[in-house]
Amino acid sequence: MGGTASKLPKDLLSEYQELTFLTKQEILLAHKRFSELQGRENGPYSSRVSMEKVLTLPELKSNPFRKRICHVFSTSDLRDGSLTFEDFLDLLSAFSDSATLEIKSHYAFRIFDFDDDGTLDARDLEKLVNCLTGETDDTRLTVEEMRQLISNILEESDIDKDGTVNLSEFQHVISRSPDFVSSFKIVL
Amino acid sequence: MMDRAERTADFHRLLSEESCSSDVSSDSCEYYQTEIFGLLPSSQAHRRAHADAVTHDPAESSGSWDPSVPLRALPVCLQAKRDIRERQHLQRRSIGNWDSWRRSQQTTRRRLKEHVGGALSGLLPWRHTLHKIEGQFGVGVKAYFVFLRYLLCLNLLYCVIIAGSVLTPTLVNRSSDDQKTKQPTLDYKDIFVGSGVLENSPVFHSFYTRGSWVDFECLNSPLLFLLGMISVLFLSIIMVVRRTVVGYKHSWLTGNRFSSNLSYKVFCGWDFSVQDSQAASLKQNFIRNELKMDLEEQKFHERVQRRSLRLWVRLIFLRVFLNFLVLVLLGSAFALIYYSIVLSQKKGLHKTLNLMLEYLPPITMATVNYILPYIFSKVSEFEDYSLTIQLNLTLIRSIFLKLASLGIYLFSLIHSDPSACGENAFGKEMYKLTVFNFLECFFNAFFVAYPRTFLVERFPSSSLAQMLGKKEFEIPFNVLDLVNSQTVTWVGVFYCPLLPAISAVRLMTLFYLKKFTVVRCCVPAQRMFRTASSSVLFHFMLLLGLSMSVVTLVVNINRFGPGGCGPFKDTTVLNVTSVCVKTLPDPVQNTISYISSEAFAFALILAEVVILTSYVSRGRANRKAIERLKDMLVMCSSDKRFLVKQHSTITRRQLRTR
Repeated sequence: MGGTASKLPKDLLSEYQELTFLTKQEILLAHKRFSELQGRENGPYSSRVSMEKVLTLPELKSNPFRKRICHVFSTSDLRDGSLTFEDFLDLLSAFSDSATLEIKSHYAFRIFDFDDDGTLDARDLEKLVNCLTGETDDTRLTVEEMRQLISNILEESDIDKDGTVNLSEFQHVISRSPDFVSSFKIVL
Repeated sequence: MMDRAERTADFHRLLSEESCSSDVSSDSCEYYQTEIFGLLPSSQAHRRAHADAVTHDPAESSGSWDPSVPLRALPVCLQAKRDIRERQHLQRRSIGNWDSWRRSQQTTRRRLKEHVGGALSGLLPWRHTLHKIEGQFGVGVKAYFVFLRYLLCLNLLYCVIIAGSVLTPTLVNRSSDDQKTKQPTLDYKDIFVGSGVLENSPVFHSFYTRGSWVDFECLNSPLLFLLGMISVLFLSIIMVVRRTVVGYKHSWLTGNRFSSNLSYKVFCGWDFSVQDSQAASLKQNFIRNELKMDLEEQKFHERVQRRSLRLWVRLIFLRVFLNFLVLVLLGSAFALIYYSIVLSQKKGLHKTLNLMLEYLPPITMATVNYILPYIFSKVSEFEDYSLTIQLNLTLIRSIFLKLASLGIYLFSLIHSDPSACGENAFGKEMYKLTVFNFLECFFNAFFVAYPRTFLVERFPSSSLAQMLGKKEFEIPFNVLDLVNSQTVTWVGVFYCPLLPAISAVRLMTLFYLKKFTVVRCCVPAQRMFRTASSSVLFHFMLLLGLSMSVVTLVVNINRFGPGGCGPFKDTTVLNVTSVCVKTLPDPVQNTISYISSEAFAFALILAEVVILTSYVSRGRANRKAIERLKDMLVMCSSDKRFLVKQHSTITRRQLRTR
């Protein structure tokens, strides 16, 4: 069938290189993987792949935040978490090696903001911790532990003491942890 | 007057309209509060950033983006980026030629830098292997391998410097001399001990005899030798200090003042690169255990505060006793090492026995370093400290043990009676240590770790296998090994110039050995290992090792006077430069003598003091400013909440009265 490399027009490829943090090889690989998901090759670039299909990717399959990731990067009007190829590139760009701390922390905040209201409140934090520890009843923290943990987090990160962690407070915490850039990473 | 009345009416109408539309919902104060919070400029900005490209107007949002920020660094989707770019292109047409040229230059420069960076990072070996290890074992284990790779690159760099400044001049000089054709056979023992043929080979100091080109007095091989060695040491100091400082700035300088331990663990806890579902559930287990342990630790601190006096006294006695025990253990370990060194200096009869004796000190050191850390970790369990302190205490004791045993070894070497060519003898000892380190790793991988795994996998039900379990890959102790061997390289490089090359080969093999051990024989450790704080620790340990090697070098240079062997046979190391200086013209000579005088040093120190003081005071001022700004933030947010509350109560009252 020939390489999939030829399927992506050259000008589009260079545009993607300019607008994302991905290299040429990474974009081509992404295109290959995405067309495999789509089932048919060289489909129109705006056609969507449903969230269920995207989540079968091994890179996302075991990630507890996989649904949130799809929702954040999806540009669908229906808010069903389906991705176009460009959304997929956005996702890979934010999670790539060379993306900046700024952009990674921004997307991390949006992934952790489960109710999309622009701040991390106690309920978001609870969901976040549940994702981290596992959702089943025997893996969750006890109610008492959860309460103590959330109050500790707010005590530490909520600088303006309004009961929620907003984006700049979140970035403030993240910016002091160089670990973050290396762990907020998905490479195909 | 009219205008104001109209506006008030307008306002009322707006309000009533709003209340009409929301009459169904509750009339509580909170409702209005959230309503107003939503209208605040800050949350509006958030919402705009959150909105999708389809729904928001790109012209509106792109106004707030700085055009110098690359488009790819904007947190919006591709379509929005495209729109912004379109706008920027329009702008570019309207701005002047100079500006547009400058901007495009900026972009090309940035692109070039990225290309070069990408090409350089492509040169680094083992990227895929590291990626795989990261996926299976997480970031912590990867940090160890990255550190190993960093040391390998450092050693390769040394090799290049030494090949250029030390090896080549001597080889060129030698080739003009008469060539010795006698080629004695290489014995297996020579490879391990560095005797026989190796003694007169480029590996050791005595090979690098004095020689110079007739037309340049300055360009003699001792000077080049010194230059190469000094540049190696300076390079290492700069690299290690830079790394340490960067890490320190990241973690401790800020971390101490604003403790945000738990926030880190929650916000940065998930490692998105984990792919394996088993690894993912393992990671979840780690995080849960880690969080539980932290909460437990918090409760522990509360318990500590409630401890009674009697308990305190008992605990202090226990701790003093245990510390005494640790000291005794350390002392006996050092004594054991010392005696093994004394024993090794006696000459046995048989060749193989001799070899064993030669290797006795390294074997003793390795054994002690293998056993004692386990005892230390057991001891620290009884001391009733919190868990982190326990771990750190064990680590600090182990670091002390490792570096001090090396120190004792060096000390006894320095104090042994000098032989005909003391420089070579010293170099030989370091060579031996390096070779032994390699043998130890090999032995450890194939004769300790692998049989253990084999036993556990083959006979999972036997009691021995259950007791042993699979090995955990303990990052700190492995890093300690690396630091130790690197210290040996630094100490020995002056007297055994090819040591960096040997250790580069060793590190390369070590990478594969360790990879085998990790992938095949180890289970992931029960505790997560933080990369950031740990990399500070790694480099701090390196710094300790480096300072130790510099001290040893200084002592050694003083010890070996003229009359030994090697490049500094006829002069001392310090006199080598004076020959060169004498050939220079007078003004240059004067300048050099001024620079090396006390007056200049005094001025230099004074200048450094002034600069340091200004930096310290600036740091303090910044810290105060941070404090004040934080207070101001709290005030602002509480003011905001107060005003919103006031406003909503007033609104409600107005609605009720109507």
